[in-house]
Amino acid sequence: MFQYMEELQHLNFSALMAMGDVSDRIGRPTDNGQIGIIDPDCRLIGLHLYDGLFKVIPFDNKGQLKEAFNIRLEELQVLDIKFLYGCSKPTIVVLYQDNKDARHVKTYEVALKDKDFVEGPWSQNNLDNGADLLIPVPPPLCGVIIIGEETIVYCSANAFKAIPIRPSITRAYGRVDADGSRYLLGDHAGLLHLLVITHEKEKVTGLKIELLGETSIASTISYLDNAVVYIGSSYGDSQLIKLNLQPDAKGSYVEVLESYVNLGPIVDFCVVDLERQGQGQVVTCSGAYKDGSLRIVRNGIGINEQASVELQGIKGMWSLRSSTDDPFDTFLVVSFISETRILAMNPEDELEETEIEGFCSQVQTLFCHYAVYNQLVQVTSSCVRLVSSTTREFRTEWNAPSGYSINVATANATQVLLATGGGHLVYLEIGDGVLTEVKHAQLEYEISCLDINPIGENPNYSQLAVVGMWTDISVRIFSLPDLNVITKEHLGGEIIPRSVLLCCFEGISYLLCALGDGHLLNFLLNLNTGELTDRKKVSLGTQPITLRTFSSKNTTHVFAASDRPTVIYSSNKKILYSNVNLKEVSHMCPFNSAAFPDSLAIAKEGELTIGTIDDIQKLHIRSIPLGEHARRICHQEQSRTFAICSLKNQSSAEESETHFIRLLDDQSFEFISTYQLDPFEYGCSILSCSFSDDINVYYCVGTAYVLPEENEPTKGRILVFMVEEGKLQLITEKETKGAVYSLNAFNGKLLAAINQKIQLYKWMLRDDGSRELQSECGHHGHILALYVQTRGDFIVVGDLMKSISLLIYKHEEGAIEERARDYNANWMSAVEILDDDIYLGSENNFNLFTVRKNSEGATDEERGRLEVVGEYHLGEFVNRFRHGSLVMRLPDSDVGQIPTVIFGSVNGVIGVIASLPHEQYIFLEKLQSNLRKVIKGVGGLSHEQWRSFNNEKKTVDAKNFLDGDLIESFLDLSRTRMDEISKAMSVSVEELCKRVEELTRLH
Amino acid sequence: MGSMLGDWPSFDPHNFSQLRPTDPSNPSKMTPATYHPTHNRTLPPPDQVITTEAKNILLRNFYERAEEKLRPKRAASENLIPEHGCKQPRASTSC
Repeated sequence: MFQYMEELQHLNFSALMAMGDVSDRIGRPTDNGQIGIIDPDCRLIGLHLYDGLFKVIPFDNKGQLKEAFNIRLEELQVLDIKFLYGCSKPTIVVLYQDNKDARHVKTYEVALKDKDFVEGPWSQNNLDNGADLLIPVPPPLCGVIIIGEETIVYCSANAFKAIPIRPSITRAYGRVDADGSRYLLGDHAGLLHLLVITHEKEKVTGLKIELLGETSIASTISYLDNAVVYIGSSYGDSQLIKLNLQPDAKGSYVEVLESYVNLGPIVDFCVVDLERQGQGQVVTCSGAYKDGSLRIVRNGIGINEQASVELQGIKGMWSLRSSTDDPFDTFLVVSFISETRILAMNPEDELEETEIEGFCSQVQTLFCHYAVYNQLVQVTSSCVRLVSSTTREFRTEWNAPSGYSINVATANATQVLLATGGGHLVYLEIGDGVLTEVKHAQLEYEISCLDINPIGENPNYSQLAVVGMWTDISVRIFSLPDLNVITKEHLGGEIIPRSVLLCCFEGISYLLCALGDGHLLNFLLNLNTGELTDRKKVSLGTQPITLRTFSSKNTTHVFAASDRPTVIYSSNKKILYSNVNLKEVSHMCPFNSAAFPDSLAIAKEGELTIGTIDDIQKLHIRSIPLGEHARRICHQEQSRTFAICSLKNQSSAEESETHFIRLLDDQSFEFISTYQLDPFEYGCSILSCSFSDDINVYYCVGTAYVLPEENEPTKGRILVFMVEEGKLQLITEKETKGAVYSLNAFNGKLLAAINQKIQLYKWMLRDDGSRELQSECGHHGHILALYVQTRGDFIVVGDLMKSISLLIYKHEEGAIEERARDYNANWMSAVEILDDDIYLGSENNFNLFTVRKNSEGATDEERGRLEVVGEYHLGEFVNRFRHGSLVMRLPDSDVGQIPTVIFGSVNGVIGVIASLPHEQYIFLEKLQSNLRKVIKGVGGLSHEQWRSFNNEKKTVDAKNFLDGDLIESFLDLSRTRMDEISKAMSVSVEELCKRVEELTRLH
Repeated sequence: MGSMLGDWPSFDPHNFSQLRPTDPSNPSKMTPATYHPTHNRTLPPPDQVITTEAKNILLRNFYERAEEKLRPKRAASENLIPEHGCKQPRASTSC
């Protein structure tokens, strides 16, 4: 089924919209893609969806769409269709190829009344053999430009002008002037040309073409304004460019202003843990031709270590400035159970121990802060001390009443709030050498945590204090300075709040409250009334959390130190949580020194680290431009290398390309060794593996000789390399009778998919000590065995057009036999084994499906059939599945138990498929069906219909797959919509948010 | 005119006047927020649901031909004999 929707507001129709299904039940879908065009005078929409048919959707004179109808189009191999400008009747120009491969253009008038074509005003035969693109020229010139590979032609009823061009394939064009006299053309090599129609008195006199410079290989070109052009690319990063009037030193008129990440097409990828932190990273083969690159995609926020020192038992850390208006921090106060040590940057920019004489250093520090009048404040269990930050000398102190010790404390530049045993809350204000006890309050329970972070207008003074309580498990908001309770919020449950924080993201005030079990609550806070609303709960880890603010690039974020450190930030006024790529952090404080600007001091696992933090965002993408097209990638842990199969197009227009096996260092991503394949030889598969009775690790590469005269390759090779001293050494090679589409390590042997055959090779030691691959057994019976995965003795094969089959290797007999197959005719694009019984496949109509091995079947027939259990329309062409995860998996968390598979698609999408426990699936399925009622598809497109499994043969509802993107959009809904869903599901909004947040932590 | 390329069109001189080039080696990764309509305003009016005429193009063609045939048929019937006569001589020549 095909959906078409057209918004016509730009055509001055009053916000008219229409939608509908324009698919036909019979028809052969066009090979060259669908064409949809609108008549410049808005009389009809034209669609070319099926060979030999042109569908017309007419407009009436009010701009309303009328019933669509088909017209027979004689030309079967259509390359392009456009509407001509300035015709009294709607007229199309058709560029087509005849059965002798010659290319012509023809014009047709659309006779709306007769529902037929009438021969048009002109035609032009025998064009450039590479003619592929039509550009209709607007009035006053009218006519059409035909772009070929060696010529460009202007054609109209009364003119024909042609110019030769340097051989190139034009992929995209963009009109510059409203009168259509200049066009930007982008070619397959990323070169941008300007095509000029010269004309006199509305008569075309000729064409001119000028090279402007190089961009990403363009898929779309849009002239925006004032010489700024958007280059949309599906082969590389899209770009915003400026066309300068004068060329630069290299002769280019193009200046790249901005570029926008595009991972597509992802042809292959691997999941690796380069930093060995237990966190996966995806390394993709992205882009095509000269825009080919490797992309390292990493989730979470990294800390780039600048310095680190071994320090056990850190109980708290604070940074201090040496004067109130110093922009940089000088001191780092590190507190231990029975002492406090001061570190400072020395003139050599090294961190060394120093002293602040006025501080108590023989006891644990509970809190420290810089204060007004060049002072520092230190809170210990017995007193609050005020010290000069310039002389470092003691100025005054406030002592806890005898018999009481201070349990928790907080401070800002002018205020101190502390709690002693017995529920005493004491509020002090800081003056010049004076500490004034302003207010005291007696609460009914002990106080567990407190905060007076100023988020109001005055950056040094807070009008609110927040206090977390033992016993009744509540947080309370007090007004300052009078310490009146203005809000009391019971948290529920039995876990006490351990850390509270007032903070402000994107102008919105929040109260964050972290519990002792790793959960975090957040509330919207009304600064004037102290009212708390929109309570949300997420699980960050399993251990108590300590919250601290820090700033990076002039924006304030919150660091949640715990067994699963997290940065809390806000984007589009929504709170987001991003993992920090560290295992466990007990304390964090910002340390913005001159030598280490914008850095953080982090206490973890007996170590104090100073480091800078990555940009605060969820995904980090690093790009390694290759200048050539990488098609297969594989990582080898032992040699710490990647190997890729790549190809490079020669810059000359002759269609020669060279294929390589390249070895890259897995840290620097530099080419360290290259093996050039034979002429016409393509790298098809790559694998790092070892064999039985051999401790070495090898790279195996499968190739195919792709000869222009052959329909399918009849010859290939398996090359076995070893990395020796950073070089690829060819150990042995084995010729095959076809393309080696896939290689797998299998029972200490090598399993290869060669054309229609699965072939197992043994690794044999020859008498002379050298090694060779020796064929052991094989299995015939595939059209083309393209994708193979193995588990134990089982082999899952994804066939070109015969879906998935399951084979088994029988050791005793040394044979491979078919065990079961899916009898559907799916054209596969990737397969993966989810578990012993369930196999996942993707096919070329952008669907996903799962099949199940039926070992308990009663009959041979049942056991021989793979049962389809899940079906889903993904809308992406998947090129590869890999087991793994982009997030740190903690064994003790619920999320850590959910197995995930990552996929990469032609559009550059990286996605995660998670195998959910049944209970969670049922819950989320219910949520999804409720969300479908609330979130409506734009233009009335139904989500249910969109996700239905759909190919040429059938359309069936999706089953056993859920749309995680839709479910996660719950978090973006307004409160009233959330309430609506909560009511329909009889589950609290808080619980729904928590369940959905959990899901977001899978990726 | 300073350039052989000619001037670039300008619709509003303010557009892009504030834009400063960023480091192209560090491409922008901003993800635009997804639009989730929770209202019915994007639904098409009931009379604007596009449908294709139910009659298949082939059938339409047949009917049209049939209609065309109906009219000339009456005229043709008058010439039935010459038509036969036309076939007759051919048969005779082949003998």
